[in-house]
Amino acid sequence: MTVPTTSPRHADVQVGDALPELEVPITRTLIVAGAIASRDYQDVHHDPDLAREHGSPDIFMNILTTNGLVGRFVTDWAGPDAVLRAVSIRLGVPNYPGDTMVLSGRVTEKTDAVVTVEVTGANSKGNHVTGSVDVELPGAVR
Amino acid sequence: MSADAAGDAGTGAFHDRLRAFEGKTAGPAEVAPDEVNQAMIRHMCEALGDENPVYVDPEAAARSVHGEVVAPPTMLQVWTMRGLRPRPPDDGGNARDDLYAMLDDAGFTGVVATDCRQTYHREVHLGDRLRVVTTVESVSPEKHTALGIGHFVTTRMSYLDAADEPVGDMLFRVLKFRPGTGRVAPSGTGSA
Repeated sequence: MTVPTTSPRHADVQVGDALPELEVPITRTLIVAGAIASRDYQDVHHDPDLAREHGSPDIFMNILTTNGLVGRFVTDWAGPDAVLRAVSIRLGVPNYPGDTMVLSGRVTEKTDAVVTVEVTGANSKGNHVTGSVDVELPGAVR
Repeated sequence: MSADAAGDAGTGAFHDRLRAFEGKTAGPAEVAPDEVNQAMIRHMCEALGDENPVYVDPEAAARSVHGEVVAPPTMLQVWTMRGLRPRPPDDGGNARDDLYAMLDDAGFTGVVATDCRQTYHREVHLGDRLRVVTTVESVSPEKHTALGIGHFVTTRMSYLDAADEPVGDMLFRVLKFRPGTGRVAPSGTGSA
């Protein structure tokens, strides 16, 4: 999906609101481009032969790319006037090429300043990432 | 593998030696090799498929709450990554590197990132020159995990700007494990 042109207002977002799901095809291109764009040159993120030598069946996504995708997932919903205040993630099973990760999320907390979105990214092996994002929306108390 | 390091792995004495790093600042602040710049932001947004215009379009950013182009906040760690040909720290000493070396010497050569918690104090703009101060927070006792036998190492990073004002904080946790000792085929040994 593309980013909306306006952001939801803080007052209009409620605990329990679900975010639109984001389906991310885990291509080799995504894994390698994400690793290099984040200056992470560990061979397990771009070289299948060396990844196998290290005991991994294939290259896999690095945590900086996962972190970026979680941020994108929330701002795809929250729009250009949202400000991320915190992103907290824990990794589970790896993202290997050929898989698909589906990011889903729900608003679980709301203060005067931020809303908290709980995020899960699941692939065919289980949860690749779980975490939470604090985002400041228009109309929130700064 | 040094006999000294390998000799007491798995014992309380080895964990005590690892824990001696707790609370130590890794070394002097590591300065980002480049200012925050549009090219690196564009490359990351293209990789992620992130079409938020405030990261790349000055006019859209000016119309937004951000006022000017900002970096994706999740790029916080990117700016100070050491890159493909890292240089050793100028003064030689780095507690995190020394801790990892002690674990490597004891056979815990695998590394996989497990947790990343970032808090952003302000937005990052084009031209910012970030630096990071890293502190070793904790080293777990030896754990049996699906990936293998290992120790969780938790570090805290404080990101500062050129005026030494705080930009963001990060808690980063990795598992340093002994390859081939897991209950399942290892899913990877790379860092981050």
